[in-house]
Amino acid sequence: MLLTITEFLGHFHPLIVHLPIGILLIGLLLQYLSRKEKYTAFKPAIPLVLLLGTISAFISCITGYLLSMTDDYDESLVSWHMWMGISVALVSFMLYAKEKNPEFAINKKLLALGLFVLVMITGHLGGSLTHGSDYVTKPLKNIFSGDSDIAVSAIKPIPNVQEAAAYSDVIKPILETKCYSCHGANKQKGGLRMDDSLKLMKGGKDGNVIEAGDADASEMIKRLMLPVDNDDHMPPKEKSQPTEQQIALLHWWISNGAAFDKKVKQLPQDDKIKPSLLALQKAAVIKIESSFIPKTPVAEADQKVVAQLRESGVVILPVAQNSNYLMASFVTDTIIGKEDIALLQQIKDQLLWLKLSDTNLSDEQLAGVGQLANLTKLNIAGTNITDKGLTQLQSLQQLQYLNIVNTKISSAGLMQLTSLKKLESLYIYKTNTATTDYASLKTTFPKTTIDTGGYEVPTLATDTTLVKEKKTY
Amino acid sequence: MTQKELHNQRLLREAEKAVMQMHTRRHFIRESAMGLGGVAMAALFGCGPKKSPASQVLFDPAHPLMPKMPPFPGKAKSVIYLHMAGAPSQLELFDYKPELMKMDGQDCPQSLLEGKRFAFIRGVPKMLGPQAKFAQHGQSGAWVSENMPHLASIADELCFIKSCSTDQFNHAPAQLLVHTGTPRLGRPSIGSWVTYGLGTENQNLPGFVVLTSGGRNPDAGKSVWGSGFLPSVYQGVQCRSEGDPVLFLNDPDGMSRDLRKASIDAINQVNAEEYKEYNDPEILSRISQYEMAYKMQISVPEVMNINDEPKYIHDMYGTKPGESCFANNVLLARKLVEKGVRFVQLFDWGWDSHGTDASLAIDLGFINKCRQVDKCITALILDLKQRGLLEETLIVWGGEFGRTPMQENREGKKMPYKGRDHHTEAFTIWMAGAGIRKGHSYGETDEIGYSAISGKVEPFDIQATILNQLGFDHEKLTYPFQGRPFRLTDTRGKVIDEIIA
Repeated sequence: MLLTITEFLGHFHPLIVHLPIGILLIGLLLQYLSRKEKYTAFKPAIPLVLLLGTISAFISCITGYLLSMTDDYDESLVSWHMWMGISVALVSFMLYAKEKNPEFAINKKLLALGLFVLVMITGHLGGSLTHGSDYVTKPLKNIFSGDSDIAVSAIKPIPNVQEAAAYSDVIKPILETKCYSCHGANKQKGGLRMDDSLKLMKGGKDGNVIEAGDADASEMIKRLMLPVDNDDHMPPKEKSQPTEQQIALLHWWISNGAAFDKKVKQLPQDDKIKPSLLALQKAAVIKIESSFIPKTPVAEADQKVVAQLRESGVVILPVAQNSNYLMASFVTDTIIGKEDIALLQQIKDQLLWLKLSDTNLSDEQLAGVGQLANLTKLNIAGTNITDKGLTQLQSLQQLQYLNIVNTKISSAGLMQLTSLKKLESLYIYKTNTATTDYASLKTTFPKTTIDTGGYEVPTLATDTTLVKEKKTY
Repeated sequence: MTQKELHNQRLLREAEKAVMQMHTRRHFIRESAMGLGGVAMAALFGCGPKKSPASQVLFDPAHPLMPKMPPFPGKAKSVIYLHMAGAPSQLELFDYKPELMKMDGQDCPQSLLEGKRFAFIRGVPKMLGPQAKFAQHGQSGAWVSENMPHLASIADELCFIKSCSTDQFNHAPAQLLVHTGTPRLGRPSIGSWVTYGLGTENQNLPGFVVLTSGGRNPDAGKSVWGSGFLPSVYQGVQCRSEGDPVLFLNDPDGMSRDLRKASIDAINQVNAEEYKEYNDPEILSRISQYEMAYKMQISVPEVMNINDEPKYIHDMYGTKPGESCFANNVLLARKLVEKGVRFVQLFDWGWDSHGTDASLAIDLGFINKCRQVDKCITALILDLKQRGLLEETLIVWGGEFGRTPMQENREGKKMPYKGRDHHTEAFTIWMAGAGIRKGHSYGETDEIGYSAISGKVEPFDIQATILNQLGFDHEKLTYPFQGRPFRLTDTRGKVIDEIIA
């Protein structure tokens, strides 16, 4: 009973606390102004204002003390706030006394200045207690870092969620944004502090909040799942609520033992949790890892050469933005110019993909292509090349994709390319390779998927007939 | 009124005017102090428009279709989108529901009807069991019905998304939603976005080609391949699938090609003068379109002619040269993609199986529609595969919504034929090629195929996935319009990671 009355009175602190701040500051202002002749009329009001300020300061002290008993705040911060508050009350009383009785042997200016500073400090400490110590500076940080998104969500996307640490990368950021303001370093409502793994597992005044391995029995999950209007619901109605996915992640983490040192991939994942986990990495820029592009960066190609090639009708582009690697295609201009192959050789460090299909490519020119050592994809389908020219490609050690569809290449020609260790896919549809050679080609290129083509889609009776209504007479 | 009174009146008016001027000027200054302060504050706090490289306009009016690099290396270079306009029934093709068979002929439970709206179903309809036999195919064990025997044979190349949903139950808005990201008119279609973002490799051909079959354009009309607020050069170029693919391609009698070139040059010169005066980028687009048209006179007849294809290819696709049919369009799509066209959109009309007549009956006309597309689509996938092009060509097949597990009872009456109504809550689309997982089924519907119970996706998610395969973050491909950057998926869309290999 007593406790509830204390709590009730304590809850008036945030309201009353604003009175002394305002009244005392007005008192100080009047005092300052009244020194000027124009405002001497204010003088009689000053003692009254200071008295009112002093009284409200004392009431604030009392209610503040009651509040500190009922709620759990950071101890050192509370004690600083308390003593500063008491000083405010005392100093303001002294100032009042000095006004009433000018013979008091204290410097009035010093006293006034001291009171002003004390009010500011106490106010700031109070603010830190309720809103967190970085409340004021946070927006500024965001302005200077130039990224306003941080203000929206402090949860940073995870590049690869499976490799991420389950607690510190997935769970902790949720707790940080939704729980720490009341259960963190500054405040420990209900005796619960969550920003420290040991204290989190220890729970609060009413016992454990996490039952490792049994999420449904955990107080934390129970509270999260209560209807928002329920008084026990956490976070309180007026605070920002976690999303369903975030709750699902917390549930999943606790169900799987609430481990602090495991990676996401080490914990079992059912189909329900997978989307929530994946969603964490969604916000990140998903880069399609392409095996066709080397990981090592390369210097920019000579732009004059690139421009020259473009001039002659070659489509030439970086493989992606921010990449210096290039792809080239002769799809618009199917006649390879005299200079073109020589120009391509000048950018051979950068050139990865080359499409020469349906051009007038000759064996001679193919020899030039054979020197483009970094090529990973080469399409020479529908050209006049022969086995003799193909031999020139032996040096393309990086080649992964080779398309020789619709050419005169034979199995004998292909056998010369055994040195291409990285070759993954080989398209030989409509070449001079004989069906009988396919087996030996398979054994010659064990790691390569060879597509021999020649697929047929048989014509079924149903393909050319129509279903008709059965007439009943 | 005396002279003096008049004089006084005039003085009074002048005085009032002076006061008003004073007043308004002060007023103005006072207001602007606040207003400007507010603007300054907003700018200080970072509320102003942001210029980041990602939101840059990709449009170069002089070379609008120049090929561009994607933000990250995409798996797909081209897209072939096969749209079965009218919405095919998932329950007779890919979504096998034996439980529904057991309910065949029974009254539809109230729980499925409460709070729902249908296009034609009224009162309590009967349930309609699957009207086709199903079997599992390939190593992936995908369920495909007897209506698509050829496609079933290549089930291991496909990735089915069985949990598609939409919020539009009429054809036109649903088609617009699928292709432009909104059920209302005015937004660019996906092909326009892609050509805007990537340009096209072959400068002699349009970047975005549209072919229709089935005797009608889709219900949403040409807006489903429109360019919306994007520069008009990005709209789909519809080619005729019979006769000349583009009208007036050939030089008229007495007009030599040189003369034609000269006249186009003259027109372009006039337009260039016009541009100097008005600086309207649409004029530059017009110039480049004239040049494109001139080049197309040579390139289009060559690529749009299927007569030169060998017989075995015609046998494979089941094409009928000289006629207008879906199979011809499918073969054309392959030829276009081979020549570096970025986006090929095929619409085939006639899938609206309501059961109002035999051609729209789920056990008659629908089967015939399946027979028209089954063989050629299968041939397309295999043909691209043997040419080494399936790796870089994304194929998407689907309709604009699904069909109800209930038999349609238009006006509350029994229909002459078996049919199903429009259904928004579940339908199947499939994708193939270009880094899409092979032989996979994603998402599930409930026991009777009424609604998606896992992996539910929206048209926005499909769009996001298509853009992702082309090398785009769908949230970054934007165009400024009406004061804000717009994107295809607008505020929605999530890449379906599970279907990416």
